[in-house]
Amino acid sequence: MTTRLGHFVLIGLLWLSATALATRPVTADETCQSPFLPKVTGQEDYVYVWTLGIAGVGDGNDSLVTVDAHPTSKTYGQIIHRIAVPGRHEAHHAGFTDDRRYLWAGGLDDSYIFVFDVGLDPARPRLIKTITSFVKDTGGLVGPHTFYALPGRMLISALSNAQDNSGRTGLAEYANDGKFIRAIWMPKEAPYGYDVRVNVNLNRMLTSSFTGKRNYMRPFGELSKDAEAMKAFGDSIVVWDFHSRKPLQILRVPGAPLELRWALLPHHYYAFTGTALTHQLVVIYRKEDGTWATKNIADTGENIPVDLSLAPDDSKVYVNSFLDGTLRVYDVSNPFEGKLIEQVKLGEMANMVSESWDGARVYATNSLLSQWDKRSDYWLKAYAWENGKLVPKFTTDFNAVGRPHIMNFGSKTMRVASHPRSHPARSPAAHASTR
Amino acid sequence: MPAPADLQDRTEFAKLDRRRATRQRRIAIAASLVLVCAAPVSVDAGARDSADPDDAYVRGVFSPQFIPPAVGTYELPVIRRVPPFVLLEAGRPVSTQVLTAGKIAVMSFIYTACSDRLGCPLATRAMSELQTRLLEGGLQERVVLLSISLDPGRDTPTHLATYARHFKANRLLWHFLTAPSEGDLRRMLAAYGQDREPIADERGRFTGRFRHVLKVFVLDAAARIRNIYSSGFLVPQVVVNDIKTLLTSDATGMK
Repeated sequence: MTTRLGHFVLIGLLWLSATALATRPVTADETCQSPFLPKVTGQEDYVYVWTLGIAGVGDGNDSLVTVDAHPTSKTYGQIIHRIAVPGRHEAHHAGFTDDRRYLWAGGLDDSYIFVFDVGLDPARPRLIKTITSFVKDTGGLVGPHTFYALPGRMLISALSNAQDNSGRTGLAEYANDGKFIRAIWMPKEAPYGYDVRVNVNLNRMLTSSFTGKRNYMRPFGELSKDAEAMKAFGDSIVVWDFHSRKPLQILRVPGAPLELRWALLPHHYYAFTGTALTHQLVVIYRKEDGTWATKNIADTGENIPVDLSLAPDDSKVYVNSFLDGTLRVYDVSNPFEGKLIEQVKLGEMANMVSESWDGARVYATNSLLSQWDKRSDYWLKAYAWENGKLVPKFTTDFNAVGRPHIMNFGSKTMRVASHPRSHPARSPAAHASTR
Repeated sequence: MPAPADLQDRTEFAKLDRRRATRQRRIAIAASLVLVCAAPVSVDAGARDSADPDDAYVRGVFSPQFIPPAVGTYELPVIRRVPPFVLLEAGRPVSTQVLTAGKIAVMSFIYTACSDRLGCPLATRAMSELQTRLLEGGLQERVVLLSISLDPGRDTPTHLATYARHFKANRLLWHFLTAPSEGDLRRMLAAYGQDREPIADERGRFTGRFRHVLKVFVLDAAARIRNIYSSGFLVPQVVVNDIKTLLTSDATGMK
């Protein structure tokens, strides 16, 4: 009886932890972070922006930029720190390790991975390691995209491969100390890759699909006129058994489904994605028999929807569209029907959108890819909900810095003490070889 | 999609449906217990500078909505290798190399004063449940459980022994250990990649609590970490399956 009671209590504790940690996820924004990660639940102090360098602008290098996001700060809305990495690598996405101590940031062109320490001084991240061997380590994966924390590891989805620069690709895992663990190629029936997200309660992992390096590093105006090249975009979502990392089901979702966002509440067995080329907001849901299906729930218009952010109560999805530079907010209280409830013209183009955990603030940046961006100003813009409308709070000018891409939130409370373990010279991450 | 995998998935959920009714009855009881137990306990996980909204998500019925993949059907690659450490058990030095020789080790870092209901209490409760399953499965000779204190200054041998008794630890299977010094503990934490930060109050004084991510490690007989579980995925049946997978595989870890 005692054992059984203990079993019940353990299940209850797991229930608490899973429901809580399902809300502790990060890629771009707080509500979509990995479930294995502590989350910033209150006012974020900083927004870290992984930024593409521009030739002739400043030092021209890619950089991690810290923007002060605390409203009571004297430097609110301003760039307070920038750490450049040598060269331009097509800076794109970044994600924290499971202890939120380190931020891994990738380059889609040469597949370099930069590891920043954001714990010693959260306002002033430091570059502690560069992994230059991603292609060699993984047996030919190219373009590290999503950096997703697993316990003690980083799960990385790639976009392409070194053999032909097509969209055939896979996933890679690295230990937090930077050592390569394994690569898993996408199934032949669904070879493309883009995002990767885990639902721990369901033991399910989703991957989405984009295109290969020969497309994403090609000028968009030229690419869009090449009918043959435009056929080489992914049309699939793969449902995986997370624990075994084995594919279970392939869902056909035409038009390059990009960002994946699992619903956060315990009984919500669904996720959202947006298709860049067919401009659909799509729900991916579990059917009664345990298999998965998709349904288009809103047409965002012919404007290349790119990033998504999900409200913490699963009630709203934010969609940034690249071509018309507009943020659209859909009510998805009924996940099978998206209703447009708000839209904001951000600028000539828009890309990433990140919502705070409390649902009160939204940040956006506007660079997509160096070869796809329009001629435009570069910025980070902050909005807040007031009386049911998104109201502008500040605009941070990036024109003297570069093209702002993904945003991750920082907090002073994540500062670590400067004891020997934290010292870069003795850090396990600093000691790891890069092969 | 290859039909067998899809079929496997459907079969898995068919099994799940049959078990769901029974499980939900159990969980309804468990949920009540946990809410009562957890209500007065504060959460000391990091990065929380406002009222914790997690309780807003403590609703509905949670159960791991999956059947773990079958033993031996998946790989557990090496995540990292760890060196042996000399620790103290009941005040006497003992090497982890000796404790774990030829066995699968399940290890967690905890401290007895931890009040985070999703932290050390969860890890130790899971270890207790795991101990029961290992004994039931006759695996006690092939597995060892290690709970290592994050707070060697306050977790004295007497303190740890009381804690172990509370969880009915089998002394031959489950060991509660401390590091001989703070420096030794830091080296061990670095080797395992386990974070630990003292939490200070508004005046900078140590509160006696630590911020840390809950991690439970599974090591093979060669002292290589083969899996790490965190809150939300610390499911005893998954751990048991991983142990059996390691015992039945060649334990090469792909490397």
